[in-house]
Amino acid sequence: MSVIRTLLYVIGGLLLGGIIHIAVILLMPDFANRDAWTSLGRFGQDGAFHLLPMSEPGTEPLPYLDPQMAYAACRFSLEDGPIRIKAAMPEDFWSIAVFNRRGSNVYSLNDRSAERADIDLVIATPVQMAQLRENPIAALDQSIVIEVPITRGFALIRSFVADPTLVGRAETMLRAASCSAELPSADAPPPADPGDEKQ
Amino acid sequence: MRLLINLAIAIAIAVIVGFGSAALVLDRERMFGAVTRGAWTAWPDTGSADADPYTAAMLARTGEVPLGAGEGLAFSADADDQGSRLNGGCTYRITGQTPPARLWTLTVYDGDGHLMENPAQRTVFHSREVLRHENGSFTIAVSRSAQPGNWLPVTTEDRFRLILRLYDTPLAGGATIGAIVVPAIERVGCP
Repeated sequence: MSVIRTLLYVIGGLLLGGIIHIAVILLMPDFANRDAWTSLGRFGQDGAFHLLPMSEPGTEPLPYLDPQMAYAACRFSLEDGPIRIKAAMPEDFWSIAVFNRRGSNVYSLNDRSAERADIDLVIATPVQMAQLRENPIAALDQSIVIEVPITRGFALIRSFVADPTLVGRAETMLRAASCSAELPSADAPPPADPGDEKQ
Repeated sequence: MRLLINLAIAIAIAVIVGFGSAALVLDRERMFGAVTRGAWTAWPDTGSADADPYTAAMLARTGEVPLGAGEGLAFSADADDQGSRLNGGCTYRITGQTPPARLWTLTVYDGDGHLMENPAQRTVFHSREVLRHENGSFTIAVSRSAQPGNWLPVTTEDRFRLILRLYDTPLAGGATIGAIVVPAIERVGCP
Protein backbone atom coordinates (compact mmCIF):
# COMPACT_ATOMS: atom_id res chain seq x y z
CA MET A 1 0.00 0.00 0.00
CA SER A 2 2.70 2.42 0.96
CA VAL A 3 4.67 1.44 -2.18
CA ILE A 4 1.72 2.50 -4.32
CA ARG A 5 1.49 5.76 -2.43
CA THR A 6 5.19 6.45 -3.00
CA LEU A 7 4.73 5.61 -6.67
CA LEU A 8 1.95 8.20 -6.89
CA TYR A 9 4.30 10.79 -5.41
CA VAL A 10 6.96 9.82 -7.98
CA ILE A 11 4.44 10.31 -10.80
CA GLY A 12 3.43 13.63 -9.28
CA GLY A 13 7.09 14.61 -9.16
CA LEU A 14 7.53 13.77 -12.84
CA LEU A 15 4.48 15.84 -13.79
CA LEU A 16 5.76 18.76 -11.75
CA GLY A 17 9.15 18.30 -13.44
CA GLY A 18 7.45 18.68 -16.81
CA ILE A 19 5.85 21.93 -15.69
CA ILE A 20 9.21 23.21 -14.44
CA HIS A 21 10.79 22.28 -17.80
CA ILE A 22 8.19 24.29 -19.73
CA ALA A 23 8.46 27.23 -17.34
CA VAL A 24 12.27 27.34 -17.61
CA ILE A 25 12.18 27.29 -21.42
CA LEU A 26 9.48 29.97 -21.66
CA LEU A 27 10.96 32.27 -19.02
CA MET A 28 14.60 31.92 -20.08
CA PRO A 29 14.53 34.91 -22.48
CA ASP A 30 13.24 37.17 -19.68
CA PHE A 31 15.90 36.17 -17.18
CA ALA A 32 18.95 35.62 -19.39
CA ASN A 33 21.75 38.10 -18.70
CA ARG A 34 23.96 37.38 -21.69
CA ASP A 35 21.26 37.83 -24.31
CA ALA A 36 21.67 40.16 -27.27
CA TRP A 37 19.57 42.98 -25.74
CA THR A 38 21.68 43.06 -22.57
CA SER A 39 24.95 42.78 -24.51
CA LEU A 40 23.98 45.70 -26.76
CA GLY A 41 23.37 47.87 -23.69
CA ARG A 42 27.14 48.04 -23.21
CA PHE A 43 27.62 50.11 -26.36
CA GLY A 44 25.71 53.20 -25.25
CA GLN A 45 22.36 54.65 -24.38
CA ASP A 46 19.07 53.54 -25.90
CA GLY A 47 17.41 55.39 -28.77
CA ALA A 48 20.57 55.80 -30.86
CA PHE A 49 22.61 53.64 -33.19
CA HIS A 50 25.98 52.51 -31.90
CA LEU A 51 28.67 51.18 -34.15
CA LEU A 52 29.83 47.70 -33.12
CA PRO A 53 33.54 47.01 -33.48
CA MET A 54 34.38 44.80 -36.46
CA SER A 55 34.39 41.12 -35.51
CA GLU A 56 38.01 40.06 -35.26
CA PRO A 57 39.72 37.37 -33.22
CA GLY A 58 39.51 38.60 -29.63
CA THR A 59 36.98 41.39 -30.28
CA GLU A 60 33.61 39.92 -31.09
CA PRO A 61 30.83 42.25 -29.91
CA LEU A 62 28.21 39.47 -30.16
CA PRO A 63 28.72 35.75 -30.77
CA TYR A 64 28.70 34.50 -34.36
CA LEU A 65 28.68 37.82 -36.19
CA ASP A 66 30.01 37.80 -39.75
CA PRO A 67 33.54 39.30 -39.81
CA GLN A 68 32.84 40.50 -43.34
CA MET A 69 30.08 42.87 -42.17
CA ALA A 70 30.06 46.18 -40.32
CA TYR A 71 27.25 46.41 -37.75
CA ALA A 72 25.32 49.13 -35.95
CA ALA A 73 22.65 48.46 -33.36
CA CYS A 74 19.97 50.54 -31.63
CA ARG A 75 17.82 49.58 -28.64
CA PHE A 76 14.50 51.37 -28.88
CA SER A 77 11.21 51.79 -27.10
CA LEU A 78 7.87 52.54 -28.76
CA GLU A 79 6.25 53.71 -25.53
CA ASP A 80 6.51 57.39 -26.51
CA GLY A 81 5.35 56.89 -30.09
CA PRO A 82 6.58 55.37 -33.32
CA ILE A 83 10.27 55.67 -34.15
CA ARG A 84 11.88 56.43 -37.48
CA ILE A 85 15.20 54.96 -38.59
CA LYS A 86 17.12 56.83 -41.25
CA ALA A 87 20.51 55.93 -42.66
CA ALA A 88 22.43 56.53 -45.87
CA MET A 89 24.04 53.27 -46.89
CA PRO A 90 26.94 52.23 -49.14
CA GLU A 91 25.98 50.91 -52.58
CA ASP A 92 26.50 47.29 -51.76
CA PHE A 93 24.66 44.62 -49.81
CA TRP A 94 23.10 45.84 -46.57
CA SER A 95 20.24 44.62 -44.45
CA ILE A 96 18.34 45.65 -41.36
CA ALA A 97 16.59 43.38 -38.89
CA VAL A 98 14.23 44.28 -36.03
CA PHE A 99 14.14 42.07 -32.93
CA ASN A 100 11.92 42.07 -29.87
CA ARG A 101 13.25 42.45 -26.33
CA ARG A 102 13.72 38.68 -26.13
CA GLY A 103 15.91 38.56 -29.22
CA SER A 104 13.42 37.03 -31.66
CA ASN A 105 13.32 38.48 -35.15
CA VAL A 106 10.12 40.35 -36.04
CA TYR A 107 11.08 42.05 -39.31
CA SER A 108 13.95 42.17 -41.78
CA LEU A 109 14.77 43.44 -45.23
CA ASN A 110 17.79 43.97 -47.46
CA ASP A 111 18.83 46.62 -49.96
CA ARG A 112 17.34 44.69 -52.89
CA SER A 113 13.94 44.10 -51.26
CA ALA A 114 13.85 47.72 -50.03
CA GLU A 115 14.40 48.82 -53.64
CA ARG A 116 16.31 51.87 -52.49
CA ALA A 117 19.81 52.81 -51.48
CA ASP A 118 19.04 54.28 -48.06
CA ILE A 119 17.10 53.20 -44.99
CA ASP A 120 13.93 55.06 -44.02
CA LEU A 121 11.94 52.82 -41.74
CA VAL A 122 9.10 53.78 -39.40
CA ILE A 123 8.36 51.26 -36.66
CA ALA A 124 4.97 51.44 -34.93
CA THR A 125 2.84 49.33 -32.63
CA PRO A 126 -0.60 48.23 -33.92
CA VAL A 127 -2.28 51.04 -31.95
CA GLN A 128 0.11 53.68 -33.30
CA MET A 129 -0.39 52.23 -36.76
CA ALA A 130 -4.14 52.74 -36.49
CA GLN A 131 -3.53 56.36 -35.49
CA LEU A 132 -1.17 56.84 -38.44
CA ARG A 133 -3.88 55.51 -40.74
CA GLU A 134 -6.44 57.93 -39.30
CA ASN A 135 -4.16 60.93 -39.75
CA PRO A 136 -1.87 59.97 -42.61
CA ILE A 137 1.30 61.95 -42.89
CA ALA A 138 2.11 62.76 -46.49
CA ALA A 139 5.81 63.04 -45.78
CA LEU A 140 5.82 59.42 -44.66
CA ASP A 141 5.05 58.29 -48.20
CA GLN A 142 8.75 57.94 -48.63
CA SER A 143 9.18 55.70 -45.61
CA ILE A 144 8.67 52.00 -45.21
CA VAL A 145 6.18 51.78 -42.33
CA ILE A 146 6.06 48.53 -40.39
CA GLU A 147 3.74 47.39 -37.63
CA VAL A 148 5.31 45.24 -34.94
CA PRO A 149 3.64 43.73 -31.86
CA ILE A 150 6.38 44.92 -29.50
CA THR A 151 7.05 47.92 -27.28
CA ARG A 152 10.78 47.42 -26.78
CA GLY A 153 13.36 45.89 -29.06
CA PHE A 154 16.46 46.54 -31.09
CA ALA A 155 17.37 47.10 -34.71
CA LEU A 156 20.57 45.78 -36.24
CA ILE A 157 21.98 47.10 -39.51
CA ARG A 158 24.62 45.08 -41.32
CA SER A 159 26.66 46.44 -44.17
CA PHE A 160 28.89 44.28 -46.37
CA VAL A 161 32.55 45.28 -46.35
CA ALA A 162 34.19 43.68 -49.41
CA ASP A 163 37.73 44.47 -48.31
CA PRO A 164 39.48 46.18 -45.39
CA THR A 165 39.97 49.47 -47.27
CA LEU A 166 36.17 49.96 -47.25
CA VAL A 167 35.72 49.54 -43.49
CA GLY A 168 36.19 53.26 -42.84
CA ARG A 169 33.51 54.28 -45.32
CA ALA A 170 31.00 51.75 -44.00
CA GLU A 171 31.67 52.75 -40.39
CA THR A 172 31.26 56.45 -41.16
CA MET A 173 27.86 55.80 -42.72
CA LEU A 174 26.73 53.53 -39.89
CA ARG A 175 27.87 56.06 -37.31
CA ALA A 176 25.60 58.63 -38.94
CA ALA A 177 22.57 56.32 -38.82
CA SER A 178 19.66 57.77 -36.85
CA CYS A 179 17.35 55.73 -34.66
CA SER A 180 15.16 58.66 -33.56
CA ALA A 181 14.70 60.65 -36.75
CA GLU A 182 11.91 63.20 -36.57
CA LEU A 183 8.46 62.08 -37.62
CA PRO A 184 6.84 64.83 -39.66
CA SER A 185 3.72 66.17 -38.00
CA ALA A 186 0.33 65.20 -39.35
CA ASP A 187 -0.90 67.35 -42.19
CA ALA A 188 -4.40 67.76 -43.56
CA PRO A 189 -6.10 66.89 -45.75
CA PRO A 190 -4.58 63.45 -46.24
CA PRO A 191 -3.59 63.13 -49.88
CA ALA A 192 -2.58 59.47 -49.76
CA ASP A 193 -2.16 56.45 -47.57
CA PRO A 194 1.22 56.11 -45.96
CA GLY A 195 3.42 53.54 -47.63
CA ASP A 196 2.47 50.45 -45.75
CA GLU A 197 4.62 47.40 -46.11
CA LYS A 198 4.53 44.33 -44.06
CA GLN A 199 6.63 41.22 -44.25
CA MET B 1 6.78 11.21 8.58
CA ARG B 2 6.07 9.03 5.58
CA LEU B 3 4.24 11.97 3.98
CA LEU B 4 7.31 14.18 4.40
CA ILE B 5 9.59 11.56 2.83
CA ASN B 6 7.21 11.09 -0.09
CA LEU B 7 6.93 14.85 -0.60
CA ALA B 8 10.71 15.17 -0.53
CA ILE B 9 11.02 12.43 -3.14
CA ALA B 10 8.41 14.10 -5.38
CA ILE B 11 10.06 17.52 -5.14
CA ALA B 12 13.54 16.13 -5.75
CA ILE B 13 12.32 14.30 -8.86
CA ALA B 14 10.50 17.42 -10.08
CA VAL B 15 13.57 19.64 -9.69
CA ILE B 16 16.02 17.19 -11.22
CA VAL B 17 13.76 16.26 -14.14
CA GLY B 18 12.58 19.84 -14.78
CA PHE B 19 15.85 21.75 -14.65
CA GLY B 20 17.95 18.84 -15.89
CA SER B 21 15.90 18.27 -19.03
CA ALA B 22 15.77 22.02 -19.77
CA ALA B 23 19.57 22.33 -19.46
CA LEU B 24 20.10 19.21 -21.55
CA VAL B 25 17.87 20.47 -24.36
CA LEU B 26 19.42 23.94 -24.41
CA ASP B 27 22.98 22.62 -24.50
CA ARG B 28 22.26 20.54 -27.57
CA GLU B 29 21.74 21.82 -31.07
CA ARG B 30 18.35 23.29 -31.85
CA MET B 31 15.91 20.45 -32.38
CA PHE B 32 13.09 21.84 -34.45
CA GLY B 33 13.04 22.97 -38.05
CA ALA B 34 16.55 21.84 -38.98
CA VAL B 35 17.22 21.55 -42.71
CA THR B 36 20.25 19.37 -43.46
CA ARG B 37 21.88 19.14 -46.88
CA GLY B 38 25.17 17.27 -47.08
CA ALA B 39 27.32 18.28 -44.12
CA TRP B 40 25.42 21.56 -43.68
CA THR B 41 22.48 22.38 -41.41
CA ALA B 42 20.32 25.50 -41.35
CA TRP B 43 17.41 26.57 -39.15
CA PRO B 44 15.25 28.75 -41.43
CA ASP B 45 12.61 29.46 -38.76
CA THR B 46 15.18 31.01 -36.43
CA GLY B 47 15.07 34.30 -38.29
CA SER B 48 11.32 34.69 -38.29
CA ALA B 49 8.60 35.47 -35.81
CA ASP B 50 7.67 31.76 -35.94
CA ALA B 51 10.77 30.67 -34.01
CA ASP B 52 9.85 27.99 -31.45
CA PRO B 53 10.26 28.60 -27.67
CA TYR B 54 13.34 26.36 -27.53
CA THR B 55 15.08 28.44 -30.19
CA ALA B 56 14.14 31.66 -28.39
CA ALA B 57 15.51 30.28 -25.10
CA MET B 58 18.73 29.15 -26.76
CA LEU B 59 19.28 32.50 -28.48
CA ALA B 60 18.70 34.29 -25.17
CA ARG B 61 21.24 32.06 -23.47
CA THR B 62 23.99 32.45 -26.06
CA GLY B 63 23.27 36.06 -27.03
CA GLU B 64 23.36 35.18 -30.71
CA VAL B 65 21.50 37.36 -33.19
CA PRO B 66 20.03 35.22 -35.99
CA LEU B 67 19.91 36.30 -39.63
CA GLY B 68 16.42 37.57 -40.41
CA ALA B 69 14.49 35.81 -43.14
CA GLY B 70 14.73 38.97 -45.26
CA GLU B 71 18.49 39.10 -44.84
CA GLY B 72 19.66 35.59 -45.59
CA LEU B 73 20.20 32.10 -44.27
CA ALA B 74 23.15 30.58 -42.40
CA PHE B 75 24.28 26.97 -42.80
CA SER B 76 26.71 25.53 -40.26
CA ALA B 77 28.86 22.40 -40.39
CA ASP B 78 30.53 20.62 -37.48
CA ALA B 79 31.40 17.46 -39.40
CA ASP B 80 32.69 16.46 -42.83
CA ASP B 81 30.74 14.57 -45.50
CA GLN B 82 31.64 11.26 -43.83
CA GLY B 83 30.14 12.44 -40.55
CA SER B 84 33.43 12.76 -38.65
CA ARG B 85 33.83 15.86 -36.49
CA LEU B 86 35.83 18.67 -38.08
CA ASN B 87 39.20 18.65 -36.34
CA GLY B 88 41.96 21.24 -36.57
CA GLY B 89 44.55 18.47 -36.75
CA CYS B 90 43.29 17.51 -40.22
CA THR B 91 43.25 19.16 -43.64
CA TYR B 92 39.91 19.61 -45.41
CA ARG B 93 38.88 20.59 -48.90
CA ILE B 94 35.60 22.46 -49.40
CA THR B 95 34.63 22.19 -53.04
CA GLY B 96 31.76 22.83 -55.38
CA GLN B 97 29.03 25.43 -55.58
CA THR B 98 26.92 27.24 -53.03
CA PRO B 99 23.12 27.49 -53.13
CA PRO B 100 21.84 30.54 -55.02
CA ALA B 101 22.54 33.83 -53.24
CA ARG B 102 23.60 37.32 -54.21
CA LEU B 103 26.48 37.13 -51.77
CA TRP B 104 27.93 34.50 -49.48
CA THR B 105 30.63 34.31 -46.82
CA LEU B 106 32.35 31.26 -45.37
CA THR B 107 33.70 31.75 -41.85
CA VAL B 108 35.61 29.39 -39.57
CA TYR B 109 35.16 29.40 -35.77
CA ASP B 110 36.84 27.35 -33.05
CA GLY B 111 34.90 24.87 -30.92
CA ASP B 112 33.74 27.64 -28.57
CA GLY B 113 32.43 29.78 -31.42
CA HIS B 114 35.25 32.31 -31.54
CA LEU B 115 37.29 33.56 -34.47
CA MET B 116 40.87 32.30 -34.47
CA GLU B 117 43.88 34.63 -34.54
CA ASN B 118 46.28 33.58 -37.31
CA PRO B 119 49.32 35.04 -39.12
CA ALA B 120 47.46 35.17 -42.45
CA GLN B 121 44.79 37.34 -40.75
CA ARG B 122 42.04 35.44 -42.52
CA THR B 123 38.91 34.13 -40.83
CA VAL B 124 36.50 34.39 -43.76
CA PHE B 125 36.15 34.13 -47.54
CA HIS B 126 33.42 35.88 -49.48
CA SER B 127 31.94 35.04 -52.85
CA ARG B 128 33.59 37.90 -54.71
CA GLU B 129 37.16 37.30 -53.62
CA VAL B 130 37.34 33.51 -53.72
CA LEU B 131 39.47 32.13 -56.57
CA ARG B 132 37.32 29.99 -58.86
CA HIS B 133 37.86 27.23 -61.39
CA GLU B 134 36.88 27.83 -65.00
CA ASN B 135 33.44 26.31 -64.44
CA GLY B 136 32.69 28.71 -61.59
CA SER B 137 33.16 26.21 -58.77
CA PHE B 138 35.74 26.78 -56.06
CA THR B 139 38.04 24.90 -53.71
CA ILE B 140 38.87 26.23 -50.25
CA ALA B 141 41.47 24.41 -48.16
CA VAL B 142 40.95 24.47 -44.37
CA SER B 143 44.07 23.48 -42.42
CA ARG B 144 46.68 24.58 -39.93
CA SER B 145 49.48 24.66 -42.53
CA ALA B 146 49.52 27.10 -45.44
CA GLN B 147 47.91 25.83 -48.67
CA PRO B 148 48.09 27.11 -52.25
CA GLY B 149 44.96 28.80 -53.62
CA ASN B 150 42.13 29.63 -51.20
CA TRP B 151 43.38 28.85 -47.72
CA LEU B 152 41.21 29.26 -44.62
CA PRO B 153 43.55 28.80 -41.64
CA VAL B 154 42.63 27.17 -38.34
CA THR B 155 44.88 27.33 -35.30
CA THR B 156 43.14 24.83 -33.08
CA GLU B 157 44.01 21.15 -32.87
CA ASP B 158 40.51 20.49 -31.59
CA ARG B 159 37.08 20.69 -33.19
CA PHE B 160 36.03 23.70 -35.26
CA ARG B 161 32.91 24.91 -37.03
CA LEU B 162 32.24 26.31 -40.50
CA ILE B 163 29.40 28.74 -41.17
CA LEU B 164 28.23 29.47 -44.71
CA ARG B 165 26.05 32.58 -44.77
CA LEU B 166 23.91 33.16 -47.84
CA TYR B 167 22.77 36.78 -48.16
CA ASP B 168 19.70 37.71 -50.17
CA THR B 169 18.88 34.12 -51.06
CA PRO B 170 15.59 32.68 -52.34
CA LEU B 171 16.03 29.92 -49.71
CA ALA B 172 15.25 32.33 -46.87
CA GLY B 173 11.77 33.67 -46.28
CA GLY B 174 9.59 30.64 -45.84
CA ALA B 175 9.98 28.77 -49.13
CA THR B 176 10.47 25.02 -48.80
CA ILE B 177 14.11 24.13 -49.28
CA GLY B 178 14.28 21.29 -51.80
CA ALA B 179 17.29 19.67 -53.39
CA ILE B 180 20.04 22.28 -53.40
CA VAL B 181 23.73 22.09 -54.16
CA VAL B 182 25.95 22.60 -51.14
CA PRO B 183 29.74 22.53 -51.06
CA ALA B 184 31.33 19.17 -50.25
CA ILE B 185 33.54 18.95 -47.15
CA GLU B 186 36.18 16.30 -47.75
CA ARG B 187 38.91 15.28 -45.34
CA VAL B 188 42.20 15.17 -47.22
CA GLY B 189 44.33 13.83 -44.40
CA CYS B 190 45.45 14.15 -40.82
CA PRO B 191 49.20 14.68 -40.78
